Amino acid sequence: MEVNKILNKLIEIVGSEFVSNNPADLYIYSQDPGASEPRPVDFVILPKKVEEVQKIVRLANQEKIPIIPMGGGLTLSGLVIPNRRGIVMDMKRMNKIIEISPLNRYALIEAGVTSGQLLAHLNNNHPDLQPPIPDAPPSITIAGNALIHGSGYLSQKYGDHGSMINGLEVVLPDGEIYKFGSCALSDYWFTRGPIPDFIGLFISSFGTMGIVTKLSIKLFPKPNMRDIVFGLCKDPSVLPELISNITYADVAEDILLGIQDKPDWMKGYTFIIVYITGETEEELINKTKILKKMYRKAKSRYMKVPKRIEEVFLEKPQFAAKAADFRKGGGFEYVGAFIPLQLIPKMIQIGTDISLKHGIIPTLGARLIGQGHSAMFFISYSFNRADPKDMKNARDALHETNKAALEIGGIPWKAEIAGQQLIMEKMDPNYKKLLKGIKNLIDPNGIMNPGNWEVK
Amino acid sequence: MGGEIIISANLEKDWKDIVHRCFRCGYCKFTHDYSDFNCPSYKKYRFETYSTGGRLWLIYGLISGELDWNKDVANVLYACSTCGNCSENCRFDKFNDLLVDIIEAAREEAVKNGYCPENQKALVERIKNTEMYNPYGEKNSNNEALKEEYDLPDEAEWVYYIGCTSNYRQKELRDATLRFLKKANINFTLIDEHCCCSPIIRTGQTECVKDFINYNMMKIRETGASKVITSCAGCYRTMKSDWIKHDDSTDIEIFHTVELINDLLNEGKLNFKTEFNQKITYHDPCHLGRHMKMYEIPRDILNRIPGVELIEMERNRGNAWCCGAGGGVKIGYPEWSVEIAKERLEEAKKTDTALISSACPFCRTNLNDANQEFEMGFEILDIIEIIDNLDYEITNSN
Repeated sequence: MEVNKILNKLIEIVGSEFVSNNPADLYIYSQDPGASEPRPVDFVILPKKVEEVQKIVRLANQEKIPIIPMGGGLTLSGLVIPNRRGIVMDMKRMNKIIEISPLNRYALIEAGVTSGQLLAHLNNNHPDLQPPIPDAPPSITIAGNALIHGSGYLSQKYGDHGSMINGLEVVLPDGEIYKFGSCALSDYWFTRGPIPDFIGLFISSFGTMGIVTKLSIKLFPKPNMRDIVFGLCKDPSVLPELISNITYADVAEDILLGIQDKPDWMKGYTFIIVYITGETEEELINKTKILKKMYRKAKSRYMKVPKRIEEVFLEKPQFAAKAADFRKGGGFEYVGAFIPLQLIPKMIQIGTDISLKHGIIPTLGARLIGQGHSAMFFISYSFNRADPKDMKNARDALHETNKAALEIGGIPWKAEIAGQQLIMEKMDPNYKKLLKGIKNLIDPNGIMNPGNWEVK
Repeated sequence: MGGEIIISANLEKDWKDIVHRCFRCGYCKFTHDYSDFNCPSYKKYRFETYSTGGRLWLIYGLISGELDWNKDVANVLYACSTCGNCSENCRFDKFNDLLVDIIEAAREEAVKNGYCPENQKALVERIKNTEMYNPYGEKNSNNEALKEEYDLPDEAEWVYYIGCTSNYRQKELRDATLRFLKKANINFTLIDEHCCCSPIIRTGQTECVKDFINYNMMKIRETGASKVITSCAGCYRTMKSDWIKHDDSTDIEIFHTVELINDLLNEGKLNFKTEFNQKITYHDPCHLGRHMKMYEIPRDILNRIPGVELIEMERNRGNAWCCGAGGGVKIGYPEWSVEIAKERLEEAKKTDTALISSACPFCRTNLNDANQEFEMGFEILDIIEIIDNLDYEITNSN
């Protein structure tokens, strides 16, 4: 590759301020906050307009240079670290909130809009609406989260965040702009169908199919009041039925589970955290009563928690990155496997065993998705970034967890490349054949984040 | 393995052992409500490298040997006004308060490795120049003429430490302070001061800092003073927070002018006789606000000046947008520096005020520069200058 020639062409597209191949920038973009090892990058570029994205893609295709689109860069599983060098396309300068439709409840935004930006925009301008955002820092992008099958606020009630996409504008490897969803034929980005639904191709494909430049994401009414009701459960075997019953009663906006061995008082329990909402205090009291009754019936109990703990859980977004500081080592990564409810007790056992085996304090939990249709169960491994052995230990634990989750019937979420290979080992051969065919059709030169979902 | 605390107890000394604690979560970039980026550097450059997280990871790369010193790395470390917004928003306790210190310590390493940018080098060259002793390259003023003009003694209870910016660039501010101290009947004097070292500490050029501190302390002690007052937020932060790292004597108390004014008001000794009928917005200097946590005193003073209507900018107190002058940015990146100030002026415009007040001559300089360059039409005055415009009476201040 003629580095200077490519650099000059990239400069022609976005200007010299927003493209770099200097060692400082390449160092930062060669790694993410998870446990993956660094991998080299050739260029970092920050486009502002879709036309610039098109030109970069055309250049990359012509020169056969990989492109790795990046949102907030916080998947933790190395998905935006190039696998075969190339151009990291940081989308965060494309940060326009184009339209908020209060009536049709969607936000049409550019791909670089952060969750913090959309949350603040709605709080300030449409306080009766709330966005689907994950338990991740405000620097993550709405598009990045939705496109990795993210989950978080409102997932229990309305499903994973990928399912909340109404429409996409995507630059495919041929450099052309494609529109998917109602925007393909209407001025309103209000729905995904009723036409053949290609949007799924771009979800959890980790930038291997194209570069999403705009998306319409569903917004939801924000109830007047919000509270949490904690439950404490000693016997994990009761959890699937208890959770199922809570979703039947339709009292929960969101449901989280938390299992930790530290501090000591948490050991041996599953904490059930149910978010309830209402228009009046009375409604909240009634929902709390229903939950207390359900907890009792499931041999669990209601737990009153101090205000400061309530505040931690009610904060939007929740400060989940705190896990990186549990051991003052600056790092954590987790396997978040999508599982059916009945696998929750098994996953608790798997997570605890693997954590202890690797000398890491068990820190696990789950977020319910789609009124009991599934759960994203996470097993988190904190590590000391300054200790390569400790990072390898975390990587080994993650790999072992991916294997275990797959063995019992779960599916690792936003898996790193090694995890993707494990998934594909178990995948139906015809699914793989089709995946390979579609990838080859869309990206014949294999420039889109190569190494990911590579069918061998 | 799991659960152990890796950091040591002595954080200040062992910053190299804790820098990897940064997860690069990105909270440091934002305002309190996430509505905007509040890190001037990230907002300008937009590469992750230019967030505080990016800087800390670069620093870790240098420490671990994964990265070599070079001009680009040094530039990232210096393209930061050390405003402290990152410390305000970082969520990792007992780490967040060290972020600016870590960046400054890394700049010291840059200097040692020969990577201090040229513009910033001028600061130390001028300060060390025996004809100057100030970062502006002006001939040193021993302040004898001022002592004579204001009839100040050689020995006194207080020293007014003017600071280089007030003495060489913002003389109205200096003179207003002198008049106020005289009127308040404060028993004070001046010294032949040399730079407090704020600009060279902030830019990592610390080789001569101890000598300058020793000299200034010696001069202060020669007057018999037990208290030093300054009208400069930068000098205040440096004397109160940095000097003690180099000089363990605790016999000198440090005050900002606003603290004295506030005390006089609280004790009922300062009475305003005329009104200042204007809407004012207050700009929090980083060195007084985020660095020293002094947010309310300036506001309490402005609110007690008859006729003043204080209107807050959207970003205020710990959330305030930096003026862009600090951390060596004014000299290192002059165009960007006024761009940062311009953003503050645009924010001030939304308050429908015509007067911006602050308590820092360096903020005053940079806001004024942007005001002129972009023809924003503001009047920019220090609190002490507003008071100087009024008739007031001070009784029994001793």
